[in-house]
Amino acid sequence: MKIHKWKQGAMSVFVATALIAGCSSQPTNQTGNDTAAKGNTLVIASLTDPDSLDMHKTSWLSMENSLIYEPLLTRDATGKLHPGLAEKYEISQDGKVWTFILRKDVRYHSGDPMTAASVKDSFDRLLAISPVKGLAGPIEKVEATDEHTLKVHFSQPFAPFVNVIVGGLVSPLDAKKAKELGDGFADNPSATGPIIFDKRERGASLTYKKNPDYNWGPEYAANKGPLQFDSMMFRFMKDDDTRLMEFKKGTVHVLYDAPPNSVAELETLPGVKIEKVMDIGNKYIALNNKHPLFSDVRLRKAVALSVDRDPLVQVALNGFGKPVYGPLAPTIYGYSEAIESKAKQLYTRDLGKARQLLAEAGWTDSNGDGIVDKDGKPLSVEMLVSQEPAFQRAVQILQSQLKEAGIDMKISVQEMTTIKERISKKSYDMALMYYGWFDADILYLIFEKSNSTSRTHYNNPELDVLLNKGRLEMNEQSRLKIYEEAQEILVNDLPWVPLWVSETVIATRGVKGFTVNPYTQGITLHDVTLEK
Amino acid sequence: MRRYVIKRLLSLVGTLLGVSVLIFLMVHLIPGDPATQILGQFATPEAISQMRAKLGLDQPLWQQYLRFVGNLFAGDLGTSLFTGEKVWDQIMNRFPITMQLAILSVIIAAIFGILLGTIAAVKQNTIIDRLVVLASLLGISAPGFWIALFLIWIFAYKLALFPISGYEGIHSLLLPAITLGLAEAGMIARMTRSSMLEVIRQDYMRTAEAKGAALFRVILSHGLPNAIIPVVTMLGLQFGALMAGAVVVETVFSLQGIGSLAIEAISKRDMPTIQGMVFFMALIFALTNLIVDLIYSRIDPRIHFD
Repeated sequence: MKIHKWKQGAMSVFVATALIAGCSSQPTNQTGNDTAAKGNTLVIASLTDPDSLDMHKTSWLSMENSLIYEPLLTRDATGKLHPGLAEKYEISQDGKVWTFILRKDVRYHSGDPMTAASVKDSFDRLLAISPVKGLAGPIEKVEATDEHTLKVHFSQPFAPFVNVIVGGLVSPLDAKKAKELGDGFADNPSATGPIIFDKRERGASLTYKKNPDYNWGPEYAANKGPLQFDSMMFRFMKDDDTRLMEFKKGTVHVLYDAPPNSVAELETLPGVKIEKVMDIGNKYIALNNKHPLFSDVRLRKAVALSVDRDPLVQVALNGFGKPVYGPLAPTIYGYSEAIESKAKQLYTRDLGKARQLLAEAGWTDSNGDGIVDKDGKPLSVEMLVSQEPAFQRAVQILQSQLKEAGIDMKISVQEMTTIKERISKKSYDMALMYYGWFDADILYLIFEKSNSTSRTHYNNPELDVLLNKGRLEMNEQSRLKIYEEAQEILVNDLPWVPLWVSETVIATRGVKGFTVNPYTQGITLHDVTLEK
Repeated sequence: MRRYVIKRLLSLVGTLLGVSVLIFLMVHLIPGDPATQILGQFATPEAISQMRAKLGLDQPLWQQYLRFVGNLFAGDLGTSLFTGEKVWDQIMNRFPITMQLAILSVIIAAIFGILLGTIAAVKQNTIIDRLVVLASLLGISAPGFWIALFLIWIFAYKLALFPISGYEGIHSLLLPAITLGLAEAGMIARMTRSSMLEVIRQDYMRTAEAKGAALFRVILSHGLPNAIIPVVTMLGLQFGALMAGAVVVETVFSLQGIGSLAIEAISKRDMPTIQGMVFFMALIFALTNLIVDLIYSRIDPRIHFD
């Protein structure tokens, strides 16, 4: 009767399956495409589930975890500054005290009114627990002088603060709720935004519902009241093909980070709109300025002159990006057209000039193998690059471009963590890197000597002076001038080679008014409507 | 039997200790400072040193290891650095889906594999046999993601019979289970076929047939139980592997199983989660093997455990 036993075995497996299915903790219809697309829910396909919804604990604020928080000040799609939760603000003569007059009609999701005292508590919490509080500047103390007046005191003037605010790092959260909930705040966050946290399926979806009491939309939005849809859901899908099929089938409205090579096909579909949003940062070649080779400015320039950025953008990025020659991307405060065009003039590809600079430094092709050499040794450098597909394509183009100038570049694919570690130990030649920030102060964070985040180990006291001055200068015109000078040094001395600024591609269908603000990198939900 | 099980469970502890050393070293030999990785490039130095202290990275390696093993055997797999959730809870939240997926795939693989393999053996050297061999070869060699996308395209996108991705209940698992099951069915079919061919030539089969029993009955009651032992081993191993996470399939179908949890943890360098997952997978593997061995004795009374 052995067969019976086998049958029994099979039966018990079936029963086990049924049992597990029955007691599975996964609720049904969570990620359900039917419920999602038909109801009045805005559905966004997104790549990554944020680590935490608590903005003081997250390692990065993204659209997925920042939408419930609102900044004190904001920028519109053209970059112009507008009031946010603060009606107005004022900076003291010495630049050390920022006074904010807060709106009087704002309530947190918990129902409590937003007061200066509560915003102060939010600041205090940030300063106590946020690992990136350093970005907020040298804040000495925050005080609430009356119910709607908040003063932020700095130990020294800190001009980038306005863009720190715009970027959302110091947006007020419901500090009372945060205190009550402790670590649980991440699972039940409360702030002032037009959407309220609803539920979360880790790794699968994140759902918000609209805030029915919301009535303080920004100046530049037509709709200042509650949102025009009931809820919104981020669905996390890692596989590009799956995401595409979901979008084509109509189960998601917004395909964020649409795979660039699928855009041509998406454009042919009826009703599909493609939007491009420029990043707030550059991709660049980080050169090790402490390396015997790249401590010579002629070699740094020779690399820059060997690079043709157009094919990088056209081929590696499928056209979704812009070449950059200067230090700052056009969407960063402090960007200067004059600098950019000067840099473009200096470093547009010129192989003749590149070879000339190499020859001046003693590198010529003496054996006719196409690679320049010196004292019998060929000029061979290693490029560290992460696995990101666009980077992989770009670095292969760079390899052939550099070879045409006589530089032998070897590609070394590493994990980003490894790359960063090798950079910090100065054991690298060059690396394909990126940065992103809302203010020209990023140059301080990258280049100033006191920063550990240096990617180039470039040290220039003259530049340090300017970058420190740029933080202190409260007059906008003078400040922009300082950054022009600083960028001028970076363009002339070229410790790195800026390559391109990427564009995020967003495909939408069945939704109107969906826009992403390039200056804040945030979605503006107020005027979004769903087509029925 | 009981002594055997106890002995096996004890050796399991030894295995797990070995695994714990490997996991620990693996995570600590990977370059890159986890504290910096967790807090991001703009973190203040003091925040980084606090995080290092929190992770115990400022202690000597052997102390870190002892603490790690101590916690492990106390059932504490630690807390995820990214989500702040208990690693054990994370695994248990994700495990039901992977478990269902593994069971379904193994059922599919077993049904199709054993059936086709047996038919191929009985009809050896006919066109049916060749078709089965060809089909199993296809099943084995087609990449999982390709089969997955093909199935999604036909059954979810064109025919709209299933959701494309995500979990809405057990029917969401059918396409992924078929994806996984097909490749395994191919292997099972080949194994059943060759094992069955050997058995068919045995004297007792000829005797049974000579006594007038129907071919179907002979195969079912005499052939299959004897031929199936290596197949059960295979199924067991595959089941263990499936439980340990069907990484590609879970990614393509956006399923929140432990395969996708592993991928997330690795990409974020969430040390406690990675360690906990590998440990959990090793445990599942070892337990599956034990169960498979016990199943042997039920199928084949000649196998005894003492």
